[in-house]
Order: sequence, then structure tokens, then C-alpha cells
Amino acid sequence: MAEALVVRGLSKRFGGLRAVHDLSFSVQEGQTVALIGPNGAGKTTSFNLITGYYRPDAGSALAFGHELVGLYPYDVCARGLARTFQVARPFGRMTVLANVMTGALLRDKRVAAARERALKAIDFVGLSAKEASPARDLSTIDQRRLEVARALATEPRLLLLDEAMAGLNHTEIDQAVGLVRQLSQRGLTIVIVEHVMRAIMAVAQHIVVLDHGQKIAEGSPKEIAANPEVIRAYLGTGGGH
Amino acid sequence: MVSNAFAIDILIRVFLFAFIGVAWNLLGGYAQQLSLGHAAYFGLGAYTSTLLLIRAGVSPWIGMAAGGVVAAAASLPIGALCFRLRGPYFAIATIGTAQTLMLLFLKFRDFAWGAVGTTIPNLGNAPLMMQFTAKAAYYYVALALLALGLAVTSWVERSWLGYYLVAVGEDQHAAEAVGVNVPRIKRDIYLISAFLTGLAGTFYTQYIYFIDPNTAFSFNISVEAALVSIVGGIGTLWGPVLGAVVLEPASALAQSWLGGGAHAGVQLALYAVILIAVILWRPTGLLGALTAVYARVVRAAPAGVPGTGRPVRKGLPLDG
Amino acid sequence: MTAVVAQAVVNGLLIGGIYALVSIGVTLIFGVVKIVNFAQGEFVMIGMYISYWLATLIRLDPVVSLAVSMPALFVCGVLLQKFMLRRVLGLGDMPQIFLTFAISLLLMNLALLLFTANYRTVQTPYTFSALRLGPLYLSVPRVIAFVLAMLLSAALELFLRTTDLGKAMRAAAQNRDVAMLMGVNPDRVFAVAVGLALALAGAAGSLLMPFYPAYPTAGQQFTLFAFVAVVLGTLGNVRGALIAGLMMGMAESLGVQFVGADSGLIVVFGMLLVTLAVRPGGLYGGQTL
Repeated sequence: MAEALVVRGLSKRFGGLRAVHDLSFSVQEGQTVALIGPNGAGKTTSFNLITGYYRPDAGSALAFGHELVGLYPYDVCARGLARTFQVARPFGRMTVLANVMTGALLRDKRVAAARERALKAIDFVGLSAKEASPARDLSTIDQRRLEVARALATEPRLLLLDEAMAGLNHTEIDQAVGLVRQLSQRGLTIVIVEHVMRAIMAVAQHIVVLDHGQKIAEGSPKEIAANPEVIRAYLGTGGGH
Repeated sequence: MVSNAFAIDILIRVFLFAFIGVAWNLLGGYAQQLSLGHAAYFGLGAYTSTLLLIRAGVSPWIGMAAGGVVAAAASLPIGALCFRLRGPYFAIATIGTAQTLMLLFLKFRDFAWGAVGTTIPNLGNAPLMMQFTAKAAYYYVALALLALGLAVTSWVERSWLGYYLVAVGEDQHAAEAVGVNVPRIKRDIYLISAFLTGLAGTFYTQYIYFIDPNTAFSFNISVEAALVSIVGGIGTLWGPVLGAVVLEPASALAQSWLGGGAHAGVQLALYAVILIAVILWRPTGLLGALTAVYARVVRAAPAGVPGTGRPVRKGLPLDG
Repeated sequence: MTAVVAQAVVNGLLIGGIYALVSIGVTLIFGVVKIVNFAQGEFVMIGMYISYWLATLIRLDPVVSLAVSMPALFVCGVLLQKFMLRRVLGLGDMPQIFLTFAISLLLMNLALLLFTANYRTVQTPYTFSALRLGPLYLSVPRVIAFVLAMLLSAALELFLRTTDLGKAMRAAAQNRDVAMLMGVNPDRVFAVAVGLALALAGAAGSLLMPFYPAYPTAGQQFTLFAFVAVVLGTLGNVRGALIAGLMMGMAESLGVQFVGADSGLIVVFGMLLVTLAVRPGGLYGGQTL
């Protein structure tokens, strides 16, 4: 199988703080990988490094064979990586539809075509009923759905989800897990940062564990669950569903 | 055809400042890059056409286009510098650039008449040289400019650029995450905005037959460009028009009632009060106040662009 | 030659004290309330006119009139926060920028209408006095202004470090959410912060009167210098604003001495560009209050 994402030796310091240090892992195409670890482990920073919001001090990130380090976030997106943010960032003034269309316009600048593709993405996440609502009026959960729809509209080959399940109740987690599985079945490569163990166990085929900016373990969900290092460092706060 | 010269003058000013507002609004309303230095482009347009006219006998129609191009070209280095700053600092930097240009033109005595300025030679009725004895003719030119500005804005609003602009205006980082090349979008819309503003500069100079640095690069113009948009409805197609319709006659009337040497202070003080009132009570402007009607019109324009409802209350900008 | 440089540096340092006062006000408002006050210079101007009229009408020395201008401007600040700034909190850039911008415009033009554009000066017995320190001349009113500016800055720093309200302000500046959770009353904290900032502006105005004319647009330059100093000194950092204000005074003075009389704008934008290029986070790189 081809490798969708190869991260090698990624490092980033902020002042005296080592946020990420010598991080290396691979994601196979079509795989769903979970990036877990305690708060402050460097998970979101890793996302930011990979997607071009921070420039790493060292290391590389190859997506489908292309180097991402040095690219701006919009070029990273054009290369097929889409991401969501830990706290949803909708374009508040725009409607749900307009938000997702903004994503859809990346691949095809024709507005009518973009609208069609946006409607499909909105339908997929279950926001069709609210397509004409201003994004700022949505609930937090719906804003998260919007975030995912907007990212999907850019037609990514790799989707990075940053704590998409935080604060969801049982049913909502099941729904979200269902969506992630469907995306995976369609062939999308997915990397999720998560705390909710139930979700991780349900979707992840491979898990990478970070602590204090370094990888401390990697393996299948079974292996990770039994790994004393991981158990010692952290395994699922906040969620534990 | 209105024969009252005063009324025509007011209408011309309404159209002109609506046009300047429309030009500003592309950058300041949709993309939310709040410039207070658009007079820089007004002045560059005015001086380009005047220099071409007086030094080389070139028709101001051509000069107007040339002025627009010069203004647009100037927006590139200015933007490169100013876009490094955000929010209020961007605004201050734009004020600085307009002031700097004014200072430069005040010094250019040999090249561009310095502080004294120059008058446009009166050629009587010379349509090909943008001079008309009938005041109403200027009215049609101003109207045509406004129509151009509205056409451009309307096209932008409905195209992919419209979505990208509002995205940039709302949240640059989120926009980048979905593939929007934010620096390029800002640069491109600045080009268009500056070009249109330059055209206005030429027209105004031809209308009043006079140019000098204090008029051409006047801070009042920068303020008014933003003001008509904010009062009428920032980030909407008709906002600047509505704003100009309200502000221009009000300011002209205030000037004629209170008259005399104090009128400069009165106009700006009045603008300031109106601006404060709008911001405190209805930041979305007059258009926002007419929510019900315009929500229907706005929804027909697919961008779902503002003019409806309350302004966004932003939380702390966060990224995990 | 070194004497010339030294003199320029000293002159710059002395006026830098005033720039520092104004900058501290801007950075305090930004740090606590998160609004950039376009009108800060206009409150300096108001301080100037208050002192001018007190000096003209009842012969009150401008420095003594601090006792009037500071409280008056403190009250202005509290009112400004309660009736205007509070209503645009969290609304985004446009309302915040244009509100204080409009206030600036209003104050300038009201001053123009009320007092005309004429320069107003105050003569004191010590306006032209100077101290000699070796080869250097120290203009007495400027020394007084500098000393008092430094005292006021020190007083503010003390307030921020030792009083509950001051600590609450620093908490609000560093982390709004946590501060709220700890029971900080935002309205009161914000009102006092703005009040203090404007009081400092008023003080600057009074201190300027013995050697500087009052006119409606006098405050603009100070706003501009303050904005750059705040960026240079790190947004929200009071000590940074102080140091940066002094630096700007010296830079301007050296610029005037060696480049030319009109070099104020150049110096200002030059320093802004250098800061942005070399150390965008400012002297204190991201640390606030």
C-alpha cells in the first residue's frame, strides 16, 4: 500500500519549550490513525506543523510523496490535506452553504458546480436542514459538523480531525464514529487527534502516542491498550466512554 | 432633468462618494481590511490625469484610465508593507501612506506644482477632454462611474472571489485551511479597489477644475470612503450608496446653514457623531436595519453576505 | 561631536518621558480591554487645554494643574468605558477601530470649533530656564515633565503589582477567561484601566504646557508615537511601553539632529518597520502586563 503521510524527525521549539521533538510516523493510504496523548503532548502542534501553520525547526512531512514543510496552509490544502480546528472556526457571517462552498471552490471556481458539491458534503454530515442558517447561529456541535463538511468540500485525500468528538454525548459519538467509518470506506486517509477512547477504539487501525512532544508508543489499538508506558503516561482522560 | 444647480451638485457628490465608498467597500467591507488611507489612490489618480493633461495634452478620459492603473500599481508596494499589520495597525499604516504621499506632492514643486497646485485650463465645452458646460453632463459621468463600481461589486459578490473575500474577512487562518491564498486575495482586491478609487480622483479634479495635494490626498476623503460604507451597510452591495445618500446631503446642508470658516470642523464633527451613533446602535448600518426586506434580496445572492442580523461576537481567537 | 550627540540623547530622553506616559496608557487599555485607543492623543490634547485655561484664567501653574487634569480625565475614562467601549467589546475589528477613531475625530474637531486652530501657549517663570550638567543643557520644564512622568509610571507599576485591582487588571490582561472564573468584576476593572490610561494622557498634556503649544491636532503625533512604542514594547506590556517610549524620544531627537527637522514621521515608521521585521513580538516578546 502507498504511504499517504510520512512524518520524519519533526521538531519544534517555542522559546525554551520543546513542543514537538523528533516525531516520526507513517500513515498508509486509506488507513485511519489516531494521535493520542495527554494535554500538552504536542498533538495539535503536530497538526499545525504538518499543515503549514508553523514551520518546523527540523524534520519533514511527505504527503503522497510531496514535501509539505515550507508550504503555506493553502498550498497544503491544495495538495490534498484538509484539517479541522479544535475549536470550530466557521465563517460566521456566511450561511452554512456558503461556508462549505468556500471549501468547494478550491477545486473548481465555478459557483454552480461548487454549490452542488457543497450540498453533498452538507448532506453527508447531516446539516441539510440548516443549510441557509448563518454559521454563527449554529450550536457548537453543528459548527463542528460544518467544519467537517467544509473540509470535505476541498476534496482531500487526507483528513486531519482535531478533537472532533470532544464534549459529544453517547449518541453523537456514535454518529460521528459512523461518519468517520463511512469516510474511511470511501478510501479517505484519516488522522484523528482524540481523547474519547470509545471513538478511538472504534475507528483507529493504528495509534501513535505522544507525551511531552515525543512519540512514546505506536501500534494497534490492542497493543497500545496493553502498553505499560502508555498506561503510565496517559490513556484517555476526559472521555473514558 | 433637474435645473437647480445646487441639487445637481449634491447628486454628483452623492454618486461620487457612493462610488468611492463602493471601491473602499471591496477591501474594507468584504475582506475587512479597514483602510483609512484610500485618499492615496484618489490623489494618485487625480495627479496622473492632470499631469498627462497639462504636460502632454492627453485627454483626461485616457488620463483617468492611466490614473487608475497608477493607483493600482501603487497598491502593490503599499499593500506588501501594510498587510504585515493587522487591525488598527493596518489602519494607521494606511493613514501614514496617504500622509506621506501628500508630503511628497507638497514638495514636488517642479514636477507637480507643489503646495500651490494648479487649475485645469478651461476649454469650454470639450467632451473629449472631459469638460462640459452643462453641469448635468458631469452627473452622467459620475453615475456611470457608480454603475461601474456596482457592476464590479455585484460580479465579485456572486463569483468565487466574493466567497473568498468574505472568508478572508471573517477568519484568515480558517480560510487558509480550505485553500484560500489569503495574501494573494488581499493583494488582488486591493488592486481593484485602488484602481476604482483612482478613477474617482480624476473625475473630481475635472469637476472642480483644480488640484492640490491637500485636496487630492485629503484625509477627509479617506474617512468618507469608510464612513459611507459603514453608515449604509458595510460589506454589502448597496450599503455605500445608501450611506452616501444620507451623508452627502446632510453634510452639504450642515455646511450651508453653519457656513463660513468653521465648516471644516463641522463636517468632520458631524461625521464623527454619525459614525459613533452607527457603531453603538447598528454596526451593520442602515442596510442592516432594514433586515427583513434585504434578507430576501441578499439570499438571492448566493454568498449569503451580510446586511442581516447582529454583528458577530467573536470569542478569543483560538487554535488548539 | 559627542557633546552634540549627548545633548540630542538627553533631549530625546526627556521628551521620551511624555511619549512613555501616553504609550503606557495605550498599552494599558489594549492589555486589559483589548481595544486600541485611536483617541489617546486627543486626551493628551484635552489635558493641554485644561491646563491652558487654568493657567490663563486663574494663573494656575500647569504642573500644579495635574491635580485637576488627572482626576478629570480619569472620570472621562470611566465614562468612556461605561458608555462606549463596553458596547463594542467582542464585536470584532471594525466597530472597535472606528469607534475610538470617531471619538478622536470628534474631539479634534470640537476643539477646533471651540478653541480655533490657534496655538495656545503658557508662559511660566521657568519656561526658558535650563540646568547645566557639564556640557549639557537640561531645559527645566522638560526635566520636570520627565521626572513626574517617571514618578507616575512608577506609581502605576506599584498599583499593578500590589493592589487587588491592579492584580485583577494584570490577570484580565493575561487570561480573560481565568480571570472571570476567579471572580474578577470586568466592568470595574475595565473602567479603572481606561480611567488610569486617560489620566496619564491628561498628565502628559499638563506637563507639556510649559514648553509645548496646545492646538486641536496636537495630540495626533502622540497617538502615532504611542502606537509604534506599544508595538515595539510588546502589546499590553507597561514596562515595554515605558522603555519604548523613551527609545522613541531619543530616536526622534537624533533624527532631527542628524537627518532633518521633518524626520519625525520617518523615524516613527522606520522603527515600526524594523520592529516588525526583526522582532514582531516586541521587546518583551509576547509577555503582557
